[in-house]
Amino acid sequence: MKSFEFFAAKDSNHAVTLLAQHAANAKVKIIAGGTDLLADLKFAAHGPDVVVDISRADDLKNITMTEQGLNIGALVTHTQIMRSPLICQLFPALVDAAHTIGAVQTRNLGTLGGNLVTAVPSMDSGPTLMALEAIVTIAGNGGRRQVPLSEFFVGPRKTILKPDELLTEIIIPKQNVGKPTHFLKFGLRKGQALALVNVAASFWVDWEKNAFLAPRIALGAVAPKVIRAPQAEAYLEGRTITPEAMAEAGRVAVGDAKPISDFRASAEYRRHLVAVLTKRALEGAWALAQTRRLEGSNGKRNA
Amino acid sequence: MANVTLKVNGETRSASVPPETTLLRLLRDQFNLTGAKLGCDVGDCGACTVIVDGQPVNSCLMLVGQVEGREVLTIEGLATADHLHALQKLFEHFGSLQCGFCGPGVILSAKALLDENPDPSTQEIRDALGGNLCRCTGYTKMIEAIKGAACILRGEEVPAVKSA
Ligand SMILES: Cc1cc2nc3c(=O)[nH]c(=O)nc-3n(C[C@H](O)[C@H](O)[C@H](O)COP(=O)(O)OP(=O)(O)OC[C@H]3O[C@@H](n4cnc5c(N)ncnc54)[C@H](O)[C@@H]3O)c2cc1C
Ligand code: FES
Ligand code: FES
Repeated sequence: MKSFEFFAAKDSNHAVTLLAQHAANAKVKIIAGGTDLLADLKFAAHGPDVVVDISRADDLKNITMTEQGLNIGALVTHTQIMRSPLICQLFPALVDAAHTIGAVQTRNLGTLGGNLVTAVPSMDSGPTLMALEAIVTIAGNGGRRQVPLSEFFVGPRKTILKPDELLTEIIIPKQNVGKPTHFLKFGLRKGQALALVNVAASFWVDWEKNAFLAPRIALGAVAPKVIRAPQAEAYLEGRTITPEAMAEAGRVAVGDAKPISDFRASAEYRRHLVAVLTKRALEGAWALAQTRRLEGSNGKRNA
Repeated sequence: MANVTLKVNGETRSASVPPETTLLRLLRDQFNLTGAKLGCDVGDCGACTVIVDGQPVNSCLMLVGQVEGREVLTIEGLATADHLHALQKLFEHFGSLQCGFCGPGVILSAKALLDENPDPSTQEIRDALGGNLCRCTGYTKMIEAIKGAACILRGEEVPAVKSA
């Protein structure tokens, strides 16, 4: 690894100060869990001059329900997501997604914020959060701003973050808290494999009409960034919930995807996976909606 | 240079190293603790697994600055010369390792699992070892040893060894 200066931030404000101090005249990199960054830096020809460590910023490690919705700090690790009673109850899809990331060691260090900032199209936290229309908070010297996650990603390994900015939290907006959602990943092995395709599906149920309400489908690894599948969503909106409709939505979603061929899989195979996984993710969300209805809890818009 | 002080296997240790040094290099090159192995150096193989503040991590993916003040357990801290940990005894008993390169990492992953879950299922053990690649064995005897060690640690008798 190339040499760099190292600064440990005490909390998010301190991190912003450190970034502001150094970003103007040096190449600065943030390190959170380091599971992506360090693997990168070991092969990089030109490393950063300064590394700001945010792994001790405890104010970014909370999972809380607020006025705005479910708030997840950027430094929450994948292991923490899997163990959070709040997330297990409200969003099993997020738990499933976290569980597919790397292995125990990677999940203990790797953070949700780090996963999103890598902006790798196959990231496993992306689809569920996109389907749930998550919002991210960005902190910089000029203050804080919020943007929809869909606008946060620019392209492969590119986000809208400026060099002196920090991702501080991920928010699932109140209107989607408890929305039945299902995540599926298909990799070449069960453990330690990146997704060939990953999919999340989410919808409320209009129980009177037995119809899809506000269906959302998000696809990973089939475009330069994690994307929504607008044609499939439009197809489902207001439609009666049937196995055929879910299968057809899968076929329609193929038209929303723009996969490439690489050493892991051909574009053709990825298109096939989009159809199958979309259908199964919809079935998973439907099963969850029905279970919750039986339990008398959610599955229905609660606001 | 970065000055770092941390607890390793219960002892306070310090070193002055370049900030780009990983925890793995610190342990091996500065403290002569060569139990954690350098395999891939990018988080894939788990040969470098150590336990930091109770959690198994890849020591090749942590910078020294990130472990300042933390508590690290390496394979050297698991046993004394005349008292092996139950996992080590049973790995020996079952012949769970061949070349042994993956061993320190596997045993520490297993220890972290048993600390939290004293009676894991086969699936839970497999999940816990998902980040520890072994090129020699087929994991079967490791899983048997981990189940056996779990029995010992729960104060129960170890079921008879299945003949090979
Ligand atoms: C063996 C292995 C297996 C993996 N498997 C998977 C997998 O199956 N699925 C998957 O999705 N990923 C996988 N990953 C990738 C990685 O572990 C995850 O993306 C992880 O969540 C990254 O988080 P981190 O905290 O370690 O990020 P870091 O490595 O610390 O940072 C990643 C990038 O984000 C920036 N950054 C981090 N946090 C912030 C912040 N709060 N604000 C601004 N910038 C920030 C850093 O500067 C860096 O550019 C794997 C990695 C390894 C090593
Ligand atoms: S050497 Fe650290 S995971 Fe392979
Ligand atoms: S025993 Fe040789 S790698 Fe596991």
